[in-house]
Amino acid sequence: MSLTVDQGTHDVIERPVRPRAGRNWRIGIALLLIVAALWSWTGLDASLQDVLDAPGKAWNILKQMWPPDFKTVIDRGAVGKIFESLYVAWIGTMIGAIISFPLSFLGASNVAPAAIRVPIRLLFNAIRAVPELIVAMLLLTVTGLGPWAGALAIGLHSVGTLGKLSTEVIETSDEGPLEAISAAGGLWVSKMRWGMVPQVLPTVIGYWLFRFEINVRASAVLGLIGAGGIGGELVSQLNFRNFPQVGAVLLMVIAMVLVIDTISGFARRRIIAGSGRQIDDDDTSRTVELIGDLGGSGLVG
Amino acid sequence: MSDTPSIARPRKPRTGLLTYLLVLALAAFTVFSARQIGFKWRSFVDMWTNPLWHRFWPVPWDWVLNRHNVLDPLVETFQIAIISTVIGCTLALPIGFAMSKLTSPNAPTFWFSRTVMSIVRAIPDLMWGKLLVTAIGIGAFAGAWALTIFSLAVMVKLFSETVDAADPRPLEAARASGGRHTPAVRTAVLPEVFPAFVAYALYVFELNIRASFVLGLVGAGGIGRVVETQRSTFNFDRLLGILIIMFVVVICIEQVSVALRKRLV
Repeated sequence: MSLTVDQGTHDVIERPVRPRAGRNWRIGIALLLIVAALWSWTGLDASLQDVLDAPGKAWNILKQMWPPDFKTVIDRGAVGKIFESLYVAWIGTMIGAIISFPLSFLGASNVAPAAIRVPIRLLFNAIRAVPELIVAMLLLTVTGLGPWAGALAIGLHSVGTLGKLSTEVIETSDEGPLEAISAAGGLWVSKMRWGMVPQVLPTVIGYWLFRFEINVRASAVLGLIGAGGIGGELVSQLNFRNFPQVGAVLLMVIAMVLVIDTISGFARRRIIAGSGRQIDDDDTSRTVELIGDLGGSGLVG
Repeated sequence: MSDTPSIARPRKPRTGLLTYLLVLALAAFTVFSARQIGFKWRSFVDMWTNPLWHRFWPVPWDWVLNRHNVLDPLVETFQIAIISTVIGCTLALPIGFAMSKLTSPNAPTFWFSRTVMSIVRAIPDLMWGKLLVTAIGIGAFAGAWALTIFSLAVMVKLFSETVDAADPRPLEAARASGGRHTPAVRTAVLPEVFPAFVAYALYVFELNIRASFVLGLVGAGGIGRVVETQRSTFNFDRLLGILIIMFVVVICIEQVSVALRKRLV
């Protein structure tokens, strides 16, 4: 018997040996991170005093924001600006959804041949690599200052991110329904319409809503460069250092984002549950999956 | 009627009235918002025929590749992204555990950390940038602060949800054998969720690289500063050169990060 413990020869059960594999790796990576952080630190041009002062300065401004002055900002039309941000995000999402949905079929390996698929995918990746704010900056020269430039920029960026995600959904779909339609003599169009679209639509709409949540945040900052929405109000109040007004605008932004997240999250859960899929009671793992799948699209960028 | 010879066609599922109404309402909302923001079909055409486009070409490569013009700010962008990812993600480890029902030490910590973090996350990263530039002055330091805060907020959300989904049994075992809270979590939960943590950290790094490109637009350092100056002086050809470099950097980082994440998870 090799198992000495069972023999009762030992009074104490031996503690299992702690696995040592990969220890050097871990130390190496930790060192690498520390070195990288230190190197980055040198580029920030900040002294230790700056670091110690920073929380105090931030707190000082935070203190001045209380109590928030809602009256002035509302008189200046901040509520309208909040809604404008919302409209920008919604139209952007719609543009993204409508353009990306047909394109994503052409980008899927189980639908389109490589000659079509590869350029479409390159297009998606190229769009995703350019931040919305930069797109908006360039589009301002086309549309002039205003929310429409922002909506168009968000829409174009969303084409890239939604296209990539929808393509992945289409590629992982079940081919059974498609085969059944082929066997019954269905055309390619019928295969797509009755075999593919009903399968992928709930997940894809979930992504659209998720993108809407991201776009609400994105549209809130577009005002920083003059592309409409609440961001412009924040910038002008900050530039004049009217901190009570800044506090009010910030609270309005927070409220908008949280309300939209809640509504959209509820709708996403309802859509995915309604499609007859098995999901957990809370869809947390789903959110992780959604965000994780986003690859490089970015929660804001 | 079990022996019916002809196969009855299955009934088509009916779409509920509520669904129709909802779609109608959303369509109406879309039209309404389009009008509110000045939607123009023309822009889709003008986008391609904008007379300004020819000013984007040719790219002055000797200006773009000059060390001081683009590469130094690009390095600064990297430095902002690296330091904020390292600090943000390190802080996210304990806070993420506090934000999960499974591993939270007590209810007040749980609710407090959740509430604070969801409020922090509701403010977009560029707003953090603008706020901190106002608070602590123009420069990369403010940008690093903004991204640290924002990556912390994103990271704790992703990470705490992974912890929520972790297997509770090792933790129960550790507690049953008398482990205190922190060592129990460290030995029973951390090993399971750590690969996901690293994967998210890589993802957050990607986010931060993207965000730090545009942080300069609000005066928070990095390559965005150069973008802003070149835009305001209408040097569109230089702008295109910078964009091409940013583009290549983003694609390269994403490829490496995706490859690493695939190996991890």
